[in-house]
Amino acid sequence: MIKRMLKVQMIGPKPILDDAIKALHAAAVVHIETMPEEELRKGDFLKKLPIESEKLKNKEALEKSLERLKALKSILPAPPGVRPERVSGGQIQRYLSDLAPIEERARFLRARKEALAEELSTAGRYEKLLRGFAPIVSRLGGLKNFEIVGLTLEKTREDIPGLLESEVARITDRSYQMFTREIEDGTLGIVLTYPKHFALEIKSLLTGRAISEVRLPDEYEDMTLIEALKVMGRRRAELPGLMHEIDRDLAAISAQWYGTIEGALRAVGNSLDEFGALSYAAATRFAFIIEGWVPAGRYSELKEKFSGLFGEKVLLRTLEINEHDREAVPVFIKNPSFIRPFEVFLAALSPPKYGSIDPTPFVAIFFPAFFGLIVADVGYGAIIFVLALFLRFRLREGGISKDIATVLAISAISAMVFGFLFGEMFGDLGERLGLLHPILLNRIESIKTLMYLTLGIGVGHVLLGITLSVASRLMRRDYKEALARACYLVLVVTLLSILAVLSGYASKGLLVYLAAILAVSFIAFVALEGMLGPIEFIEALGHIVSYVRIMAVGTASVVMALVANRIGGLSESLVAGVALAAVIHALNLVLSILSPSIQSMRLQYVEFFSKFYEGGGRRYRPFKSR
Amino acid sequence: MEEGLVALAAALAIGLPALATGLAQSKIGAAGAGAVAEKPELSGIIIILIAIPETMVLLGFVTAYLLISG
Repeated sequence: MIKRMLKVQMIGPKPILDDAIKALHAAAVVHIETMPEEELRKGDFLKKLPIESEKLKNKEALEKSLERLKALKSILPAPPGVRPERVSGGQIQRYLSDLAPIEERARFLRARKEALAEELSTAGRYEKLLRGFAPIVSRLGGLKNFEIVGLTLEKTREDIPGLLESEVARITDRSYQMFTREIEDGTLGIVLTYPKHFALEIKSLLTGRAISEVRLPDEYEDMTLIEALKVMGRRRAELPGLMHEIDRDLAAISAQWYGTIEGALRAVGNSLDEFGALSYAAATRFAFIIEGWVPAGRYSELKEKFSGLFGEKVLLRTLEINEHDREAVPVFIKNPSFIRPFEVFLAALSPPKYGSIDPTPFVAIFFPAFFGLIVADVGYGAIIFVLALFLRFRLREGGISKDIATVLAISAISAMVFGFLFGEMFGDLGERLGLLHPILLNRIESIKTLMYLTLGIGVGHVLLGITLSVASRLMRRDYKEALARACYLVLVVTLLSILAVLSGYASKGLLVYLAAILAVSFIAFVALEGMLGPIEFIEALGHIVSYVRIMAVGTASVVMALVANRIGGLSESLVAGVALAAVIHALNLVLSILSPSIQSMRLQYVEFFSKFYEGGGRRYRPFKSR
Repeated sequence: MEEGLVALAAALAIGLPALATGLAQSKIGAAGAGAVAEKPELSGIIIILIAIPETMVLLGFVTAYLLISG
């Protein structure tokens, strides 16, 4: 449910501002608010708190430290299950100097690894090229007074080798040799040998755009092509091992220091948050003022803490929440632990407005109920329950995934309960084995009853939604809107009553009165809501029919389970029959997790929430340690 | 003859909305896939949006059932 909030103001002498901020940080209950501009403009005496230059310098130093620590953390691999060390604000400098040599070593290792990776990729690139030249070059190995040049050429320029050869022949007076072969897709390799004293003229000839000379990386420059090839092959074999060694060194550093780095990062983050809180404060010449929001239940504890720490020096008081403030009140939703996982349904929406209704408790009842009604199978429910529990215990850290697993586990229990009531275990297998019998109804034989039952659920759920919308508007003192929603409620109830009379479920004598109420409530609703009112009214009727999906999807699921059992039964081999049935049941089980979840979720969001949910609230974010 | 016409009516009552639902879901699904590619956090909302047109086929199903069961 949405907790009541109090607007609080803290006033104290400027010299103890830092201590007061630290105390607020430790209390971890105040959602600090910027002082409104109009308050600051009221008089000259109250201004935004100016931040001293020394504090700004400290802040800059902390920001630099934060960047350094983040960079160090990004170099190191995260070891599993590491916990951040506890580091207080005062210990930050000591930790930073302890970490300095680690930072240097980690940076060195990373630079070394990057250099090795670069060398590996270069060696890979050149090796392919040199391997193409190798057979030709080896034949020329003994020609000591000759220059050997490797060239590459795009295959599309096949005219160039001919032109090149005639030019080289002219320059060297036919004392040359030229070999051409394809070294990879689209690239021709050319090896040219000529007497060394023609080197200058030949080099100037080779500066054309289409031809590129194979230039070796710096470290191989003094080697011949053959030597370079050998060295590259050797380096390619040893480089992965060297890189792996560096990874091991980094992992060893990480195992020892990661928790410390995390702890220091948190401490720096917390100190920066405390600097950030200063920007929310206002000040007079001698005093500071901080305003914020506190859950009503935590106020007395906060007041006690502050009077214990500062005595009379700091005044903590509550302020009246005026009409203008109401839109800005942050929303703090707190539910009992067994309902809390269902808050996950609000994650897709903006938080509810302060003073409106938190739908979580209703979702906690209806989502598992609808899911259970659709799946309604003891066997499927048990498997989903085990899977959900397994997922829940695998996810050690809390979070959305863990909440979803809990919701699924609760919904699976509901599926087992309804499965027991409908006598279903893997379709009709439970009944065939004599383990279960329908207690409430048989879903295949009582489709009509189930349809009426789901329509009844729809009527109840939609009317509850409209009733909640009336209550929500009354709580927010929006009486005109509350009256409109009340008319809407009367309108829907009256129409449903008329349908009941026409179907013979009530006395026909009531029809006149009901028609009169219908007409009056319709006119009042249109007058209050405008022309969109009738559309909303028709939509509500469509929403009620929409609950038939519980029966439709549920029947589809049970029919598929029956099909699995029948097809399994057709096989002459027991093993093949069981295997076939198991495959179809497995498919149905996957659908039994997906489809009922989506359908049940949709009934909450579209049919139920649309009646009363008012989004657009601000989330309560207390000023607390990271 | 009458029975045949009722059966045909029931078939049309569920068949046509089923086609319409499929058409609507295909368009929402295509747009949704694009949206999820850019913002994966929208997945939940997109699944709900895809399920919205199913009301049409459900209304068709109820009508068909009422026609057949008399």
